[in-house]
Amino acid sequence: MRRLRLAIAGLTACSGCQLSLLNCEDELPELFEKFEFHFFPMACSPALLTGQYDAALVEGCLSMPHENELLQELRRRSVYLIALGTCAICGGVAALRNGEERELLRQQVYGQHLVAGETFDPMPLQNVVQVDAAVSGCPPEKQELLRMLAGLVRGVLPVNIDYPVCTECRMKENLCLLMERNALCLGPVILGGCGARCPSLAVPCEGCRGALAEANLAEALEIYAQKGFDRQIVLERLRRFSPEWQQ
Amino acid sequence: MAPQFMVSHNLEALLERLRQYAEVHGPVRGDDGVVRFSALTPGILPDLSAIRTLLPPKKYLLHPQEIILSYTEKDGYQAPSEGARPLILFGLHSCDLAGINYLDQIFLGDDPDPLYAARRSAQTLIGVSCIPDEFCSCHLARSPLKPLSDLFFHHVEGGFAVTSSSPRGEELLEDVKDILEEREVNIPEDARRFFGQVASMRVRPELDAALPEWQELADCCLGCGACSLCCPTCYCFDVLEFSGLDGRSAERVRRWDNCLFKSHAQVAGGMSFRKDRAERFRYRYCHKYRGFGPLQGIPSCVGCGRCRVVCPAGLDLRPLAERLEAACRE
Repeated sequence: MRRLRLAIAGLTACSGCQLSLLNCEDELPELFEKFEFHFFPMACSPALLTGQYDAALVEGCLSMPHENELLQELRRRSVYLIALGTCAICGGVAALRNGEERELLRQQVYGQHLVAGETFDPMPLQNVVQVDAAVSGCPPEKQELLRMLAGLVRGVLPVNIDYPVCTECRMKENLCLLMERNALCLGPVILGGCGARCPSLAVPCEGCRGALAEANLAEALEIYAQKGFDRQIVLERLRRFSPEWQQ
Repeated sequence: MAPQFMVSHNLEALLERLRQYAEVHGPVRGDDGVVRFSALTPGILPDLSAIRTLLPPKKYLLHPQEIILSYTEKDGYQAPSEGARPLILFGLHSCDLAGINYLDQIFLGDDPDPLYAARRSAQTLIGVSCIPDEFCSCHLARSPLKPLSDLFFHHVEGGFAVTSSSPRGEELLEDVKDILEEREVNIPEDARRFFGQVASMRVRPELDAALPEWQELADCCLGCGACSLCCPTCYCFDVLEFSGLDGRSAERVRRWDNCLFKSHAQVAGGMSFRKDRAERFRYRYCHKYRGFGPLQGIPSCVGCGRCRVVCPAGLDLRPLAERLEAACRE
């Protein structure tokens, strides 16, 4: 069987999603049998886009003109374009200050030095290209990455998750941190699939997998308010990974 | 047969005996305060004062997530080979026993589920009586479901009145008779609630889709799924197949699903039978209070109260049920 040709790229992000893939040490030999990691600047050189790709896996959000060019190029050359991680799906941490004056933000970070190139408000990939599938997480779970890649071998895309973190948390019979500890746990409005990783360790959900499509934000805010959490603090926490939650 | 009596302090001795037969699981309160059905190993006693565990005993019959078929090129699809290990569940309340009775009707009916059937036949069920709290509703409505157990321990002054209701129960009773004594004891009338009090419920007319309550409930629902995950009779599952990296193997997984999720009623092409949450609430209500399919007319709510306890929004279907089902009461 022909090896599938992959392009793996990182835009504005921490490279953690790509690292998660490299962390699948036990599976790497098998991955090399099935895939040709043709374009993967983080892991191998030279990195030049040539020919067609069976899939492009893209980490990070879009915040600079050259990233847009790369993304368009990847889209043109790939059968599937898959968003890797929360930043690529909804903007993530980089989009936290969206809406503020960019020149001011630049000066806050770099002062008067002209070291940074042109930037714009960070945005998810789907704002500029068609995204065929997404694997959420900050970073995505190793099992999800492997299942997604195994699916590609069979020619199928991953199934979208439509349940919140609470679902897997209850399946694990964990103590409910929101109800029993009055913790600001974002589980009810955040996309599941992580196996309730943090609440299982008694750490409230920080929302790193992004907003649940059908999240009942109004009711969640009501419940957080009843627990005594300041609305502004709750919204800031919600926006950390899901900047679309402006209010 | 006259009830046998066991003094409270013989509980540990009883469990020790039971462990000779099989692994014994019962309600155990964890360090975090959560009561879960878990192993009663030597030194760990069940918390018989706990009203309910977080997850019901259905977790032993239908695992939250499990492989139901494995595929290889050589053997095709194969069912899991491991057999069900004998398991004694101790400390089941009547609602949970009635819940298992309901699941039995689903999974041991015309086309028995092999995994369920194997686990179920390896189980011995030992019930314990309880006193309902403000979340329970087992004592309010009559139900055709039966709280079937092998042995049942009724709390009485100083200990338990023990009754058996199956050949397996008789056998166990015989083997532990040296820690029991024959005694005339008065078993409180309502100890088994209203389960088994009616043969079947009247089939009722279609639920009004225009009731404002569906939307009111939907507006408050977070869609977290806790109510049905923790329900002893919610058995909906999703089936997913994950291929192996080799491209030649696969695992088919069964996972608890939830009628409040979007994907539950979604079919090919993205169409959905129940697009909004209000419709899903009506569907859930229908299943819980009226039953459907072959079990139409048999409500599946056993009144354990878990859905009310675990709901972050504090939703409670009881007031609506009291209004809509009032005519069902005797």
